[in-house]
Amino acid sequence: MVSRFNSQSLILVGCTLFVLYLAGIPLVMLLYGSIRSAPIGEPGATYTIQNYVKAYFDREFYLLLLNSVYYAIGTCTLTFLIGTFLAWVSERTNTPFKKLFVVMSLIPFIIPGILSTISWILLLSPKIGLINIVIKELLGLESAPFNVYSMWGMIWAEAIHLYPLVFLLMSAAFRNMDTSLEEAALTAGSSTVQTFYKVTLPLMRPAMVSVLLINFIRGIEAFEVPALIGVPAKISVFTTKIFLAIHQFPSDFGLAGAYAVTLLAVSTTGVLIYGRITRREERFATVTGKGYRPRVIDLGPWKWVTLGIASLIFFLAVILPVFVLLWSSFIPYYGVPSRELAAKMTLANYQYIMNYPLAWTAFKNSFYLSVGSATLVMLLTSIIAWITVKTKLPGRAFLDTVTFIPIAMPGIVLGVSLIWVYLTLPIPIYGTIWVLLLAYITKFMPYGIRAASASMIQINKELEEASLTAGGTWFQTFWKVILPLLMPGFTAGWIYISIIALRELSTSILLYSYNSTVLSIMAFDLWEGGQYTYVCALGVLMVLLLITMAFTARKLGAKIGIAE
Amino acid sequence: MAEKRDMVQIEALEKYFGEDKERVHVLKGVSLNVPEGSLYTFLGPSGCGKTTTLRCVAGLERPDGGRISIGGQTVYASGERVYVPTNKRPIGMVFQSYAIWPHMTVAENVAYPLTIHRRPKDEIKRKVSDVLKIVGLDGLEDRPAPKLSGGQQQRVAFARALINEPKVMLLDEPLSNLDAKLRVQMRSEIKSLQRRTNITTIFVTHDQAEALAISDQIAVMHGGVLIEVGSPHQLYSRPTRRFTATFLGLTNLIDGKIVELTGDAQPGKIQTKRGLLSFIPAPGLKKDQAAVVSIRPENIPLHKVKPQSSENVLEGTIKEAIFMGDAYQCKVAVGDDLLAVHTHPFNAVSPGDKVFLHLDPSSCNGLPADDKQGIDESMLGD
Repeated sequence: MVSRFNSQSLILVGCTLFVLYLAGIPLVMLLYGSIRSAPIGEPGATYTIQNYVKAYFDREFYLLLLNSVYYAIGTCTLTFLIGTFLAWVSERTNTPFKKLFVVMSLIPFIIPGILSTISWILLLSPKIGLINIVIKELLGLESAPFNVYSMWGMIWAEAIHLYPLVFLLMSAAFRNMDTSLEEAALTAGSSTVQTFYKVTLPLMRPAMVSVLLINFIRGIEAFEVPALIGVPAKISVFTTKIFLAIHQFPSDFGLAGAYAVTLLAVSTTGVLIYGRITRREERFATVTGKGYRPRVIDLGPWKWVTLGIASLIFFLAVILPVFVLLWSSFIPYYGVPSRELAAKMTLANYQYIMNYPLAWTAFKNSFYLSVGSATLVMLLTSIIAWITVKTKLPGRAFLDTVTFIPIAMPGIVLGVSLIWVYLTLPIPIYGTIWVLLLAYITKFMPYGIRAASASMIQINKELEEASLTAGGTWFQTFWKVILPLLMPGFTAGWIYISIIALRELSTSILLYSYNSTVLSIMAFDLWEGGQYTYVCALGVLMVLLLITMAFTARKLGAKIGIAE
Repeated sequence: MAEKRDMVQIEALEKYFGEDKERVHVLKGVSLNVPEGSLYTFLGPSGCGKTTTLRCVAGLERPDGGRISIGGQTVYASGERVYVPTNKRPIGMVFQSYAIWPHMTVAENVAYPLTIHRRPKDEIKRKVSDVLKIVGLDGLEDRPAPKLSGGQQQRVAFARALINEPKVMLLDEPLSNLDAKLRVQMRSEIKSLQRRTNITTIFVTHDQAEALAISDQIAVMHGGVLIEVGSPHQLYSRPTRRFTATFLGLTNLIDGKIVELTGDAQPGKIQTKRGLLSFIPAPGLKKDQAAVVSIRPENIPLHKVKPQSSENVLEGTIKEAIFMGDAYQCKVAVGDDLLAVHTHPFNAVSPGDKVFLHLDPSSCNGLPADDKQGIDESMLGD
């Protein structure tokens, strides 16, 4: 008779092997590839450290490192300032309209990175940038006041794209802080300012450090902004260098591998430090899950100042980019908004996209990949979360760790690794949509396991034991009881993953072929071809598709699981 | 009448929790038999191993040694490496939290044990309506589970456990989440339900009043060990272990040394510091052995004038008299001892009164003294 414990172990072993295949093999192959003298499959290849020598003894390498770090630090500082300011204003002050801030802060999240980058080029380019043209005309300037093709332009475009995450994390940190700790300091006789420095700041420090680290990592692995702005501006960072090493002819896989390993080392260090900090943070968290009512500070007349700054941020970060995308998608050629141009507004861009030979393939592929990877990731991580949360099997901690590995792998590094894997292994999926699907599953596993574990913890163990005592098998129990109860977390994770899958660019760009083109690649190609208005039309369609998918998922999730 | 066979047999059950250094021995060789058709209670303080034993019967915990059989079929045997998984055991279980699935209706919850076995639709419908009638929830089939009250949820849990006609019903503290009034009502309903269906039922509780009210038999557990088994009446009025006497209800303990025995369950004499007392010895007690006399507060008639017979009469002063409506709860100082005595309200008493206590010899139970099982009796005495 098969015992429940054996089937548990079987599931554990199965999941571990699968996750190792997804996350472990690419890592091994990346390291292997970086010490080979020639691309895999070519005869006569030997082991060598030449790739590293070539990489590290190049002056350009250090320039690259400097640029990458400069870019990442700039990005994480600016996102932190914007995000924390907005979080503080909306959680801790009596600034008017602060409810609206939350909605506004989430809009940039749904706009794919490639589109927000394009919108900033359309706004700040010295030649065609809307802001530049308008200011030049208003002030009668000779040259453009802003240049997006600079380090600061890059940092600005990236920060505007990344700040929603800081806003969410810092809002949570402000909300979860026990305000009685501050009140105790005030009653002990310290002033508001002293309280801030002696109590508030030290309490917030772990959250602040971890938010800074996350954004540093995201800055280091960013691809869209460096590719679209950095490359024309001749400002290279690791991600673009790797991309170019593979896209040049002939491709230099070895050098790309050496760079990728270096980039991986940097981001892994960041992730490890982040892991340590957040673990400690959890240990110090005395009360969890309790909603405190934050002490709201009465700003007096200053509340109009904070409102003004916040409105300016939203004008710059949300209204301008969305406007420029929408506007450009309806006009026949790119230009400053004017009555004359408005009269020429047309749907021709959309018609062009609809009739574009690859468009239908790209839409189909992106849709399948997004829905497929989100569904498979959530199913897989739901099972893994069950093992790590509900069982006491030895080896569950290892499984949890392996599932998390890809969080440290920048998209471009994953792309390089998978090239190695599927050029070497006798699995004929290179250049097909399947390799993209595997890449997406690997890349998004860490997000899935987070959502699934958080939900799984909340499910009372007796609910599944009731199914076992009623005669249900493990599979029946999982399918009929656990999964429906997990639905809120499942849906939330699914929506998040389908959104980031639909806009994925940095991994896809190394793995796609003609038949497996996706929307973000199509946008990239159109942009490279200089067809700005078409890109904007495509972008608007992408955002509409994303919103539709998110709403449908919520409806379906509520139907299957518990109604909210 | 033929001897009833045992529906559940547990032999020398062993269970550890935790790993390595943090290993805790939670079941230390528990053996017991649950007769067919009975309502059998595992009673003990928290951490005594009662729930763990129940979960081992259910297969939700895997024991580390021993043997369990249900209805003659071995479901666990350490030596023979037999382990039948939970879903293959002929059981129904009601959980402490009821574990009603919030994403299903009442009917879907109750029908679950049948639907997973792909029984025909009309059979499921008929059985669900039958079993809902039994628990008094007919007509609520389509109500979503989260819209039920605590008492209704519990009935759904019972219906779900009953529908497959299990050989054994396992109830894990099913009343602990109800308010006091509903608890009393539900416990008599559980008892009558069990009588009607005649399904062997194991009931786990830490509430001794609940155990006394509901059970055919009670197994008293403490510290992972089975202390003793008996009917509620037996355990209350004639406990054989010190722990049983103190855990079930309130009692007074007086230390002494046995000086005279006439035979099993025959009156004997014990020398205490309050003088020579007549008592009924627990089986196994020997002459000259240190023992303790246990007597319940309600078995001590209180007299204002000295009774005729001087046997088992102690003289004392009332220190405290609390009027409870149906009784006075008194603390009576006898020498430097304080005895709890309950007396009928017509017998008005007040602190300072000199009284005579008659320790009814047939209610004085002599128990082994060296049997403390590490329990803090001062906490139980009050």
